[in-house]
Amino acid sequence: MHDQLETLLEMQDLHMQRRALDEGGVRELETGLFEMGAEQAIDALEAKITELELRLGKSNQERFRHLISTRQRAVVPVLAGVCYGCFVAVPTSWAADADPNDKLNVCQSCGHFQYYPS
Amino acid sequence: MRLRDFFSVDAIDLDLSTETKDETLKKLVGLFHLDEKSEGILFKMLKRRENLGSTGIGRGIAIPHCRSLVVNRLRVAFGRHGAGLDFKAIDEKPVHYVFLIVAPPLEVSNQYLPVLGKIAQFSKEADVPERLAAVENAEGFLQLLEEKGV
Repeated sequence: MHDQLETLLEMQDLHMQRRALDEGGVRELETGLFEMGAEQAIDALEAKITELELRLGKSNQERFRHLISTRQRAVVPVLAGVCYGCFVAVPTSWAADADPNDKLNVCQSCGHFQYYPS
Repeated sequence: MRLRDFFSVDAIDLDLSTETKDETLKKLVGLFHLDEKSEGILFKMLKRRENLGSTGIGRGIAIPHCRSLVVNRLRVAFGRHGAGLDFKAIDEKPVHYVFLIVAPPLEVSNQYLPVLGKIAQFSKEADVPERLAAVENAEGFLQLLEEKGV
């Protein structure tokens, strides 16, 4: 897997965790059932996101920030040859690669980073 | 929605022989048969979640969980550990039963939270730890879920 893609995936997952703690249902469960300290958790997640951002190249960093703030997701899956950022078919040559995740693919239509789940 | 519909027999391990929490998480992630990199990312995310606070909810039960793009649908696994594991659980007692739940960031039917809630509800029933200890095989585990109506 491309190292920048790995970092982007990790950052997006952390953003999801961070955002989920603002949602009523998740926050209630995490602080109730699991007795998590929500504010401390948010601080820890934000610190980790900032740390990981430094591993990205400048253009990827800017694209990630833009996408996550405007469209909530920066990395989207490609399933059955379709980009789940815009639902447009990806070029067949991309999906035909031995492991398409070895490259950092950006959708030509919507601009999201793409990930091919196994 | 029935919990048993989310479990497959090959994602149930009633004889975990792992020695640590990390090993156990890796073992359960392995039941999803993802590629090596995806397994690594998933493990890292589960660890991050554990670092924010243990998912050991007491009475020998833990429910590690996270969302990640490395899975394309909600996945659940169950593991039973005879000797018990140090999971830094809320009641500081060893964990014997581990329910692992992983979902993609966005799901069409949004099942992650309801499934997490149902497992929590199931886990709170007084006789559940004892019943889980007595389960003989994966089918028995699924039958228990059904019997409990979750």
